[in-house]
This record gives sequence, structure tokens and C-alpha cells, in this order.
Amino acid sequence: MRPAIISQASAIPARAGIGLRFQHHQIVLETRPDVAWMEVHTENYMGGGTQLRYLDVIRRDIPISLHGVGLSLGSAEGIDPAHLERIRKVAERVEPGLMSEHIAWNVVGGTYLADLLPLPMTEEALDVVCRHVDQTQSYLRRRILVENPSTYVAFGNSIIPEWEFMVAVAKRTGCGILCDVNNICVSAHNHGWDASAYIAALPPDAVGEIHLAGHSIRTFADGSTLRIDDHGSRVSDEVWALYETALARFGAVPTLIEWDNEVPPLAALLQEASHAGRFIGNAVKETSHADAA
Amino acid sequence: MPTLLELQNALQRSLLHRENDAVSAMLAAHVNQDRLDIYRNTFLHGLTKVLRLCFPVVQRLVGEEFFEGTAQVFIAEHPPRAAWLDQYGGEFPEFLRTFPPATSIAYLGDIAELEWAVNGALHAPDTESLDIGRLATIEADDQGRICFVANPSLRLLRLGQPVDDIWHAILESDDEALRRINLDSGPIHLLIERRTTGVEVVRLDETAWQFLSELCSGATIEIAVERAVDFDCANALAEHLAHGRFSSFGMPDASLTTTAA
Repeated sequence: MRPAIISQASAIPARAGIGLRFQHHQIVLETRPDVAWMEVHTENYMGGGTQLRYLDVIRRDIPISLHGVGLSLGSAEGIDPAHLERIRKVAERVEPGLMSEHIAWNVVGGTYLADLLPLPMTEEALDVVCRHVDQTQSYLRRRILVENPSTYVAFGNSIIPEWEFMVAVAKRTGCGILCDVNNICVSAHNHGWDASAYIAALPPDAVGEIHLAGHSIRTFADGSTLRIDDHGSRVSDEVWALYETALARFGAVPTLIEWDNEVPPLAALLQEASHAGRFIGNAVKETSHADAA
Repeated sequence: MPTLLELQNALQRSLLHRENDAVSAMLAAHVNQDRLDIYRNTFLHGLTKVLRLCFPVVQRLVGEEFFEGTAQVFIAEHPPRAAWLDQYGGEFPEFLRTFPPATSIAYLGDIAELEWAVNGALHAPDTESLDIGRLATIEADDQGRICFVANPSLRLLRLGQPVDDIWHAILESDDEALRRINLDSGPIHLLIERRTTGVEVVRLDETAWQFLSELCSGATIEIAVERAVDFDCANALAEHLAHGRFSSFGMPDASLTTTAA
């Protein structure tokens, strides 16, 4: 029988990484950039062919995290076992250091709605999500991280603050939290929450990864604004500031720069990652300073 | 209070069919229903992009604006069934054949079918090719009963018009080649497969195509050869094996033979 091999090299370090997109496969192989780790969307590697072969080579040198967008942990009707099996197969091949999914849903009535849709923050939704996280973790035989969403709408029947919902999922299932600082900034603006209070509510030992990305601002006819998580620009100053708050609370955490739309040259991504790396470096210094004191 | 399923059905109706009433009634007081458009736009633009990547030549033929409009109607009628978008768009060729605004280009559906086959070959699972050495272990008398399993990247298409020439000409922006194409030159028989260098679209003559189709659909060598009149089957089979067009083989009567022995 073939032993299950989980390569040590695949562990994700508490440093800055970048999202790997198809456009950059070639240049990553040619230039071997100095980056601590990379994250890919699980759904992009479910078939065979060239893209998967690129990833096979890239992952020899760079630890990979698998980030899923399609499992639909919040689906009332259950998660698709065929999709879960596809995820398992990708993981078997890629041997990722981390695996993550979203607190969201996108499948109903056998239709995939191809976006991360918001859940009502209810006891029913919490039970559904926890059941599916349990199912996923036992099927994959590993812990996953779940990411807080950016949302544009909220529902009248919501009774649990989103941060409490996140904490409850982690507590009940033993999963970790992927704290998307940009999403907190976006949702806090869109719903009038206090972003720092959100971060202060998350338990540091549950936070296994941080996401940073750019967002845009849309102004409606009545003058009101909505922040949109479009991953199409640099991380904003406001998000960097919030990131500093997050690191002060969580300590050094693997941090990813996400940039999926209007994908820039690799150099721009690496630059954002080094910027994040400096924040992590400072957080480490402050922690050791505090330990020494 | 709506259940989670009621809410999810209501949001689906809003995204797919712009029926906002049910979900609007479920929104929190501070939320304007215009915000639902953000989700609908992401959904539609994301899937339109998937279709555009899969059907670039269809888009070139109809233009970007028409393609986008057509894609939106298609998406509402045929939303994806799974969160695996490499597999999304299989109904698009048939949709184009019957979508009235698109029927003025008679071969549009055939082009889409070719592009769908290319997409399928591109994303097909990786597989080991059949080990030819293992075939040699079968007794010569039994070899006729061998049947093959096709390589998952292989596609065989029979189309009414020379759309492979149109497809090539458009991808290479070769207007001269495009002008030379005779649309009435009769049906074509194509083999589409992924090689290490990329996806290849090869035109076969009808008998060669028929022979390979028989083998790929599980006919024994014996039957495939019997049905291929005036054709050098041995040579063709050797070429298919050399190109790794089969991933494995079996002997349908093997268990019977073993029992009898």
C-alpha cells in the first residue's frame, strides 16, 4: 500500500504569500521569485493538463495553500459530495499546507450561483455551517480554515453578530479562522460595524491565516457609498492600518495578498507581499519585546 | 421568518430571473435592494468570462456585445450545475443553434461544438497511456477480442460544415484563408486531443474516423476491423497506440474464457 505522504516542505510559514494565478505560472517558473508561499483556488485545478503540471513543478519549491470557493458550506440542502471528493483529489496531489473555504453559500436546487453569497446570521445557518465544516474536516481528515465574507446585503432575521458567528463555528467544529482583513473593512463600512471591535472579538489561537486585498467604492444616486471587494487594486491604507491592529492581536500569521481581477505584473504582487512582510516583522519584534519584558 | 432554504431560493430567483420581491422582503432595514445588483453582476460577469474563454471564436464571429447579451440569456436558462466551471458551457452549442438572434450564422453552433470539444480536451484528467508491452502478452488468437478505453482527452466530432478551417482562420486572423472556405464542401470528421504541446484538431477521412470511433466506443478490434471496409486497420491502430489514444484495454469475454479453461 502507498503510504500517505505529507511533505514537511508544504507547511505554510507565518510570512507573506501571494495568490498564484494562471497568468503568472510561466514567470514564476522562470524567475523563481523569493516568496514564502502561494495560494491557489482549488476549483482551478480539478481537471488535468498544463495548469496542473505547472503547479506540480511550482510546489516543489514553494508551499501551497488551497483556497476553495465552491463548497458552499452554508447550503441549506447540504454540500455536494462530488465536489468534496474533487477537493480531496486536488489536495492529495498538491499536499497543501493549509486548506480553506468561506462562510457563504452558492448552491441551491442543484444550481451553482458562482459567487460567495451572504448567509442570514441565524441559529439555523450556524447549525448548517457547523454540520458542513464537520463533514468536510472528517472527509478530508484535516482541519480547515473558514473565511469571513464581504457582504453587501444583510437579512432582517439575522440575530448573531457576524464575528460571534465566526467564533462559534471555530469553537464548535475545531476549524480555524481565515481572517480577511479587507472583508472586515468592506463589511464594517457596508453595515456600520466597528472593524476593530470585529478583530478584537476573534480568538488569536483560532486565526490561522490573514487575507489582504484591494476593494473599490461605489457611490449610489442618493449619495450613499458601498464598498466592493473586487480584488482588483492595491491594499488600501485603511486596510493596512487594520492589518496592523490584527497582527498586534493575533501575532505573526501567514498573510496572503489576493489580486484576482486586473491581475498586475508579478512584481507588483511581490511588492505588496514584501510590504505585508514588514508588518509581520514588526509584529514579531514587538511580541519578542513583550516576552522579554 | 424565512427558513434558510426559503431565503436561498428567493436569492436565486433574484439572481437568475431578476425576481426581487421575495428576497427584498427578507433584507435588513438598512439595506437598499439595489445592493442585490452587486451579486447579480458578479455572477453574470464571472460566468460570461468563463464562456468567453471557452468560446473565443464564437465571440469573434458575433462581436463582444452580442456575445455578452447572448451569454446572459444562456446563463439564466442554463446556470452551472456544479462549482467546477471548467465543465460549464456544454449546452451552449445547442443553445446557439436554436437561439433566434444567433441563427443567421448557420455554422455558429458547429463552431461552438468544436470549441467545447477543445475545452474538454484541455481540461480532461491526466492519464497514463496504455502500455503497449502489455498488449503483446495477449495471445495472437485472442487479440481480436481486445477492446480499448479511450484517452479522456480524446474527442471525435462529425460536423456538417468545414468549421475547423473557419476556426483556424479566425484564431490566426487570416482573412484570406477565411475567404477561400467553401461552406458547401460537405461534412468533416475531426479528432481533437491533448498532446504535450497543446490541444490538436485533426481532420480524418470518414473511414479512419469511423474506425477510431468504433474503437473508442468499446467495440472489439475484430468488430471495428470488420466494419472498416477497404481500410488499412493495422496501420491506423498502430498510429493510435503510438499517440497514446487509449488509456487501457480489456477482454470482454475474458472471464468466460477463464471459466471454460
